[in-house]
Amino acid sequence: MTTDDTPASSEEGAGQSKRPPFDTSVANQARIYDYLLGGKDNYEADRAAVDAVLKIAPELGFTARENRAFLGRAVRYLAAEVGIRQFLDIGTGIPTAGNTHQVAQAVAPEARVVYVDYDPVVLAHARTLLKSSKAGATRYIDADLRDTETILAGAGRLLDFTQPVAVTLLMILHVIPDADDPHGKVARVLDALPPGSYLAVSHLGAELLDQDKSDGFQGVVRRQAQQQYIGRDRGEFERFFAGTDLVEPGVVRVEEWRPDREPEGRSALWCAVGRKRG
Amino acid sequence: MDTVGPDSEQLLFGLGDSAGDAAVLRMRLGGQLRRLREAAGITPEDAGFEIRGSRSKISRLENGRVRLKNRDVADLLTLYGVTDDALRSRFLGLVMQSNVPNWWGDYGDILPGWFENYLGLEAAAATIRSFEVQFVHGLFQTGDYARAVTRLGRKTAPDEEIERWVGLRLRRQELLSRPDPPNVWSVMDEAVLRRPVGDAAVMRGQYRHLIEVAELPNVTLQVIPFARGAHAGESGSFTVLRFEEADLPDVVYLEQLTNAVYLEQRPDVERYLEVVDEISGQALTPDETTRLIEQAARAT
Repeated sequence: MTTDDTPASSEEGAGQSKRPPFDTSVANQARIYDYLLGGKDNYEADRAAVDAVLKIAPELGFTARENRAFLGRAVRYLAAEVGIRQFLDIGTGIPTAGNTHQVAQAVAPEARVVYVDYDPVVLAHARTLLKSSKAGATRYIDADLRDTETILAGAGRLLDFTQPVAVTLLMILHVIPDADDPHGKVARVLDALPPGSYLAVSHLGAELLDQDKSDGFQGVVRRQAQQQYIGRDRGEFERFFAGTDLVEPGVVRVEEWRPDREPEGRSALWCAVGRKRG
Repeated sequence: MDTVGPDSEQLLFGLGDSAGDAAVLRMRLGGQLRRLREAAGITPEDAGFEIRGSRSKISRLENGRVRLKNRDVADLLTLYGVTDDALRSRFLGLVMQSNVPNWWGDYGDILPGWFENYLGLEAAAATIRSFEVQFVHGLFQTGDYARAVTRLGRKTAPDEEIERWVGLRLRRQELLSRPDPPNVWSVMDEAVLRRPVGDAAVMRGQYRHLIEVAELPNVTLQVIPFARGAHAGESGSFTVLRFEEADLPDVVYLEQLTNAVYLEQRPDVERYLEVVDEISGQALTPDETTRLIEQAARAT
């Protein structure tokens, strides 16, 4: 079963959504990531921005690939070792190989996955590639992560909030400025879920990129991209996990989280997985 | 990085991997010939002259749009300074592989060359996206619907010829059920559902068939309803073919009455991708689409 929540009219709370318009003349977060992962769903402006960034900070290519690998390991861990059967993937991105429902349903065909993204390009692609296993279910919600009420209402139609849910927020919170209270948004989502739920986050680390690389990267992004990226330091990152216990190995770079092979480089992303106390 | 020394083993790099798909192999061999020509500093005109042809013959050959002839390729390799015998014979071996006969060889009597190209690309594609303004995509037509559509364009053709076309169309559809089938994602204007092709029985059969194929895991159908108003699809119908291989560009196929256009320059292709991305976002979801087709079927 695959369902899809696309409000016929905008039901978002006032001031909540900062949805990017469909615009191929500027680089866009979802398409940048697609290009970094070797996909073909990107446009000239996306490639120009990425090529400029990679000249300054070549490790960002590795960073994107390792983020994808972290998604696979974290979801597999949650499904196979913890036994989670419900996932809420916020900031889905353009579907590619190894999407959350494919990883989870490979372990447990009955797993239910709700995807959330606010990008019109992702919305279009989510139509086709998010086909679920027969036993499980997927749903797609077209919403901004700042709009937690729409997300929780939509997710509640497929997920049972009396049972644990794993929330994944990968490479997404770093486009939410402090003014929009990203820590508060994450806390609001966790509040709605029972103890024993999980949170997995990856996030651009302020101290993981040299100052000059970071300045160069920010310069390109400011001029050429729809979204701005905000690196946060380890302390700010760890605050997303308030009310949870971090599972081993705690806060590390994505390639260091329960690796299944020797890392071949150093990424610029912090990550962690936490279990809600209760 | 694309400059390949003519003596280098890189001449064959990656080519062996695509041996299973004649159309992909042909595109790659063509691309390699282009790189060799450019590395040797030879213009398409001069290369064309060498093989008793024109600039456009070289262009079709380098784009993988025509069968490669052994003699032409051998002459070009010589012109480009590839003299190593072992290398030449391996390259020419791949040329032969790219020419293995396809099932549509049986339809040589009716099949124009410009459509034969499409069949090769369609069979090799990993993803097929289309926008349809008038007819159901050929991969999803029933025999009766295909017969009615074919008849429209060939009013005086004998029945046997019409049946050949219908047979060809149905044969093409076998790719939907082969192992590792392509993802086919088709967005139709609501007009495709509403304008009758053939009689009511033909349309009812076609609606049923659409509802069935939409269930296939590799098929996504969407309708953009009249109620959504005008949309970005000002271009008319088109199909975008995407290949698994990272080095192969997407190809846009535009069918005309007597010919077809293949676009593969990135700026051209991206205009079409933009349109199909935008329309897919505006169109009904696959579930809503199925419900609309069910409604249309009940009303017919």
